[in-house]
Amino acid sequence: MTTQRMDEVVALQLQLEGAGYVAEPALAAALLLMMDLGRPLLVEGDAGVGKTEIAKALATVRGARLIRLQCYEGLDVHAAMYEWNYQRQLLAIKLLEHDERPAAVKEQDIFSERYLLKRPLLEAISCAEPPVLLIDEVDRADEAFEAYLLELLSDFQMSIPELGTVLAVTRPLVVITSNGTRELSDALRRRCLYQYIDYPVFAKELAIVEIKAPQAAGQLARQVVEFVQSVRRMDLQKKPGIAETLDWTAALLRMGISVIDDDGAERILETLSALVKTREDRAGFTREVVARIAAAC
Amino acid sequence: MLIAAASPAADPGAILRARLTGFAGFLHANGYGTGGADSVRVLETSVQTGILDQQILRWSLKALLCGRGDEWRRFDGLFDAYFLPPNKKIFVDSNVGAAAGREPPGGMREGNESEHADGAGPGVAGDDADTDTARHGASREESLASMDFRELNQAEHARDIEALMRRFAMRLKHLHLRREARFHHGRRLDLQGTIRQSVASGGTPLRLAWKERRRVRPRLLLLLDVSRSMSSYSFFYLRLARALCAELADVHCFIFHTRITGVAEALRDPDPWRSQERLHLLAAGWAGGTRIGECLRDFNRDHAARLVHSRTGVIIVSDGYDTGEPELLARELAALRRRSRRMVWLNPLLNQPGFSPESRAMQAAMPHIDLLAPGANLAGIEHVLPQIIEVLR
Repeated sequence: MTTQRMDEVVALQLQLEGAGYVAEPALAAALLLMMDLGRPLLVEGDAGVGKTEIAKALATVRGARLIRLQCYEGLDVHAAMYEWNYQRQLLAIKLLEHDERPAAVKEQDIFSERYLLKRPLLEAISCAEPPVLLIDEVDRADEAFEAYLLELLSDFQMSIPELGTVLAVTRPLVVITSNGTRELSDALRRRCLYQYIDYPVFAKELAIVEIKAPQAAGQLARQVVEFVQSVRRMDLQKKPGIAETLDWTAALLRMGISVIDDDGAERILETLSALVKTREDRAGFTREVVARIAAAC
Repeated sequence: MLIAAASPAADPGAILRARLTGFAGFLHANGYGTGGADSVRVLETSVQTGILDQQILRWSLKALLCGRGDEWRRFDGLFDAYFLPPNKKIFVDSNVGAAAGREPPGGMREGNESEHADGAGPGVAGDDADTDTARHGASREESLASMDFRELNQAEHARDIEALMRRFAMRLKHLHLRREARFHHGRRLDLQGTIRQSVASGGTPLRLAWKERRRVRPRLLLLLDVSRSMSSYSFFYLRLARALCAELADVHCFIFHTRITGVAEALRDPDPWRSQERLHLLAAGWAGGTRIGECLRDFNRDHAARLVHSRTGVIIVSDGYDTGEPELLARELAALRRRSRRMVWLNPLLNQPGFSPESRAMQAAMPHIDLLAPGANLAGIEHVLPQIIEVLR
């Protein structure tokens, strides 16, 4: 039995696939719910499983603008929300010195929107068309910033002391990603829908490779994915993500390798720098190891 | 389907609503961070999505009610246990099987059970005395056999421990990191503040305001050995850890014996009795043997990437009596040491007359640790705190 909602989920899945993103139905259902309820979506998962891509694909599907805020240690209100253009303000104060207008009017002029520099968050709530707001790696910013974020995410408004409260013109679709370097506050989690993204299973990863690298013939794509999946099962410091799979596929194609077998282990070794990213992990990939994995593909 | 189980005798709509709203409470009783308002959201969501399709409802509620990775992974089992009749278990695994097995078919007993004030859903509320164990998959016998955590709440010394940890936290907060010392020249102008101050002088910025430098504190990671040989110290260190967790936000605590388990969340629980209860469940295997190397390997694999960075001070508390391979221990310690800023090893036996750190594990560990310090009691800890703080700089 299919319901109307299930049809919508499948339709969104197809649209996302058209935008180059292979989504599981659970993710599509969460995205639909996010649009219905107007709540942000918090996405967690290991690095390289395609968290950031969700926002990009969503923007493509909706035909909306993507506004991105990359978080980092020490990110503050001025870099994320708004800042007064002090240089221009100082200049204006000097110019207005001989102006005859009353001081209150002058002051209002100096603290008007003309002197306001919009940073991503203010930008996102003042768009005429609802944009997709991507707050990337929120765990890198500190707790203080998270607190600022809460006001925005619950009411979609922002208080600027000199100007008053700015209400959102339209509600942006907010996607927040986190790598879990720091535990996020419960308050933030409570306000968000949640999605945990794991490393893709074989079928999903194969679909991704086929969409993103159509040049890789059927057998090569299948072998590449099988190889990467068994690499992920090894005890590595840094497991390869989807981006690494695609890089590696590109590297193989560039080297003219069209089949993975134990005879070609030498040449596969040369391309492994696209897949294995730390020195210690690399040391584990001797010719024998590669040949063994390749033979199993 | 879901509604098929509802009793035809009463108003089916009301039963359905009660069942849906009860789900958030059921998750809360299972350690989820859901609150009262979530029941309303569950209803809103189910209106949006419809409830006829089980998968859609599952995915939507999963996105709505989960808040972190472990909740995400446990959700499917709990969803099945709550909504599906016992013979229709799809994703149920053994640890919720017990709960599902006791569930009466459908929502028939909804009315009688609303009087259970603990907020557990009808799926598990059938037997109050047994609910905790049933949910977590550990039997009551096992948790009784593990360890008596009452000592954790003993009043004796509690104030001293708290005071000491508060002092430690204060010292840590005021610690002048080397990174800050190096960048002590080059202040940044705070234009907003400058303009504010210029109001007093009629718009001319006579006095300049400067930006405060952001202070970044070191993160602390505690790895506590709770094996049998450490048993006379385990509680003492656990209480220290709890006092420290209460003072500092960025403290992460793990206990290990033959396995390693994170306990920071349980220690932070504001309700001391619930904290005790949660530790019960975490501590299966308490006071058993020690395999430090394997525990560190598990830690490095599962948690290190997330928790340990270049400002992390790692404090290991262990007597160094290890039954595992010293080579493994050395390798894993080296890996952890590379990730972290400093590594301190507290050995409670160190000050005992006639003791020298000659066990194979200690020998293997020595090259990788920055400070080996004793600390068998409060006075001992107080004595070595200055050294620890010095090393953490």
